[in-house]
Amino acid sequence: MHVVRNWLIRGVLVIALTIAPADSRAQNMPDSIDLDSLVQFYEKVSFDHAKHIGLSKDCSVCHHHTTGTPTEDANCIRCHKNSAATAVVACTACHSAQPFSAETIKKNKSNVKSYHKDMPGLKGAYHQSCGGCHARDGGPTGCQDCHPRKKSGDAFYHAGEYAPKTPKNGKSRGR
Amino acid sequence: MNKLKAQEVTIVDSPYKDPGKTKWSVQEKLLLGLTPQQYVAQALRNPFNWLLAIIFAIGLPIIAGRFLFGLSWVTDSSYDYPWGLFLGFGLFTLVPLSSSGFQLGTAVELFGRHDLKPIERLALLNGLLGYFFAVCYLLVDLGQPWRLPYPMLIAFGPAAVLFLVAWHVATYLSVQIAEVSVSFFEWIGFPMGKQAVRKITLGLTVAGIILSTLHQGALGALFTYAPGKVHPLWYSASFQWLHFFVSSMPAGLCMVIVVGSIVKKTMAWRCDDNFMKNVDKLSITLARGACMGLATYLTIKLIGVAHDNKWEYLASGWGLWYLFEIGVGVILPLVLISFAIRNNKIGLVRFSALLTIFGLVLNRFNTALITFNWKLGEWFIPHWREVMITVTIFAIYIMVYRFILYRLPILYTWKTADEPVHVTEPIKESATYVTG
Amino acid sequence: MKRRDFLKAWMICGASTTFGITRNAWGGASFEGYPERMGVLVDLTRCVGCRSCEAACNKEQQLPAPSAPFDDLSVFDRKRRPTEKAYTVINRYETTKAGGPVYRKIQCNHCNEPGCLSSCLVNAYTKTQEGAVIYNPKVCIGCRACMVACPFNIPGYSYSSAFNPLVKKCVFCYDTRLKNGKSPACVEICPQETLTFGHLNDLIKIGHERIREMPDKYIDHIYGEKEVGGTGWIYLSGVPFDKVGFDTTLGNEPIISNVKEFLGLIPMVLAIWPALFTGFHLLSTRNNNDPSKQGDSHSYREDAKP
Repeated sequence: MHVVRNWLIRGVLVIALTIAPADSRAQNMPDSIDLDSLVQFYEKVSFDHAKHIGLSKDCSVCHHHTTGTPTEDANCIRCHKNSAATAVVACTACHSAQPFSAETIKKNKSNVKSYHKDMPGLKGAYHQSCGGCHARDGGPTGCQDCHPRKKSGDAFYHAGEYAPKTPKNGKSRGR
Repeated sequence: MNKLKAQEVTIVDSPYKDPGKTKWSVQEKLLLGLTPQQYVAQALRNPFNWLLAIIFAIGLPIIAGRFLFGLSWVTDSSYDYPWGLFLGFGLFTLVPLSSSGFQLGTAVELFGRHDLKPIERLALLNGLLGYFFAVCYLLVDLGQPWRLPYPMLIAFGPAAVLFLVAWHVATYLSVQIAEVSVSFFEWIGFPMGKQAVRKITLGLTVAGIILSTLHQGALGALFTYAPGKVHPLWYSASFQWLHFFVSSMPAGLCMVIVVGSIVKKTMAWRCDDNFMKNVDKLSITLARGACMGLATYLTIKLIGVAHDNKWEYLASGWGLWYLFEIGVGVILPLVLISFAIRNNKIGLVRFSALLTIFGLVLNRFNTALITFNWKLGEWFIPHWREVMITVTIFAIYIMVYRFILYRLPILYTWKTADEPVHVTEPIKESATYVTG
Repeated sequence: MKRRDFLKAWMICGASTTFGITRNAWGGASFEGYPERMGVLVDLTRCVGCRSCEAACNKEQQLPAPSAPFDDLSVFDRKRRPTEKAYTVINRYETTKAGGPVYRKIQCNHCNEPGCLSSCLVNAYTKTQEGAVIYNPKVCIGCRACMVACPFNIPGYSYSSAFNPLVKKCVFCYDTRLKNGKSPACVEICPQETLTFGHLNDLIKIGHERIREMPDKYIDHIYGEKEVGGTGWIYLSGVPFDKVGFDTTLGNEPIISNVKEFLGLIPMVLAIWPALFTGFHLLSTRNNNDPSKQGDSHSYREDAKP
């Protein structure tokens, strides 16, 4: 279960920026990650990983118990208080790009002992994780603030050049 | 017509033109025995015909438009009020007002109340036409009226109340056609048909009671599909069907009283002495029945409120409206009818009968339209074309009603028995009709 | 003659009674729902009102072009309901709770015992094993009883069509997706994963688990778990459900339960009335006859005739 919690107030952030990363693995982490799961309708997002490390310092906000600072979420601590860091920490490693496909549902169902039955898919994880902080801390929240819409997206949303030309024409829909 | 009758014009009331023993032709029968000129002249003289003409001139093109341009052209196409005036008036009101057929049929044929005979045929016709035009309203309202026979032939939803209504109205319509056909067979001169129907009268009447009980009730039960949408004061999960069934009975009787008094005033030329002499007395007899019905209805309405403990709703605005409906539509006519019967005041009986009908119409409108969606805080306001179509079909109803009353032996007795068996003693046969 | 008629009537009544009772027995059993039925858990606390689900529905169901773009948020200024042109809509509710407005998605809830289905006289509706409530446009006569019977005011109707008007409502993307094991289009597009698709029984468990893990975040109720007999689409909310447009007065009985009482009466009326009223007839007409002739059925027939 992913929860966005335990936000450090801005003052703490500023102080935290001056402290060097404690975890040695942090050396291998990417500065920028391309998020391209929505390329059907949107440009890919160049996620500035380094900037977000600077802003948060608390790795567990996004990475739960898998790397860096340990989790402080009460629900997670119950099991993961002393969990070791995992080998793979990318979002895609756990969060399925196809959370509701027949295969995923079948897999989840067969894995009766699994605790994380309610794990969001990749897209849900991104938006829930990013959106919560962005809304609270003044980050961009509009869809196109992070990922500009492509032409195909305009067509899908009937927006931009695909926007309805005539104003609302009430009941008289042409048949 | 009264003028023509005063001028000693012979109006068709027997198979034979009086002196020469020549039979009336069908055309002569249709023209009531008048010459075409006379017929047209009397039709033009009647101001009511002009009113009908104006209604048809506006209404018929709108009805045509409904089928060409779709329902959205004539209604407000509301998703929240899928049933508008066509069903609110045409089905939920016209059907209970037509319960007269089965009631009088039952009284005369089953309970042997032959004193009601002079008015039985009028009651049967009132029933038949009400149902027939309820179906007409339905045809206008249905999205795909050409699929009307589907529930009978193609796709069955036997657990649906409407399925029951469809089957019962269709069956009962046939029963009523059979019942009224007796008059038609007399008029057209087909004694075999009359005899055949006469033989199954008892069966038809019993079928009429069953079908009426069920589908009058079913119209009420339809609203149990929308428990949250009808205001609690007009809704009772357990008694909705009883409320509809019981209220239909006084309303149907009062309809006969009202129609009876209208024809007495406007069609005196067509009524025979038997009808003219008896109609007032019989109206009071019917009013007695209506009185019982109203009292029962009032009781079960109160039981309905008490059963679900809905007293607190009476204190709201809706409660006042409910009290108005019950007060003016049930209690007032009940009091007036009782007083009128006791004092033999026929005028007051007629007025209270009208009031009873008003009460029923108001009840059905309240249930189906006015208090429907009370939680949404919306009002049902019909489109003007919807109102116009409703009025037009009702005008056609009146016209057809009048057309049949003019011709078939409903208000008068077909003078000479046509059956060869009875030729030897025709007086006896007609005498049976008079004395019952 | 009359006896034969009576016997005939009795037999018809018997047949119809049997039919009636059988029908009632089907309806009377408490229906637990298809075990493998799918559903959607809608978590209102997640929805941000982006209207992507509306756009996806429009495309998937090939609905007419909208009157405003799907990213136009001014539509929230008034409350909307599903129509013939939009099978799903989002409404915005301003609440006092911190954290801004709450958005609520409306579409067919795919009831376990649908009111529309039970009110349809031509059986146009089907509750499929997969959980969808689908509609057969080929038999619909357009009586619109389903729209009256739907406790959630979902079905729309294409009133503007003169020759083929039809009921228009969400069908869980049955033909194009659900049948093939895919989630509906709105679920797939939802960026926030407000919509969780899965087996309904699992979703109920997940819903309760979310409430248990975050009791401060959620109202302790899953709307649709029990309402009107349970629905295929169920809802979690952080604010009381009646504050965000849910009808919380519907009760837990399916719509058909209200009607059962009357349906149960039908076979009784069919069976009892003929005997009862024929009996009345015999009693009331016997008085008019010579008592010595009372065994003679011929005299009754005379009475029935004028």
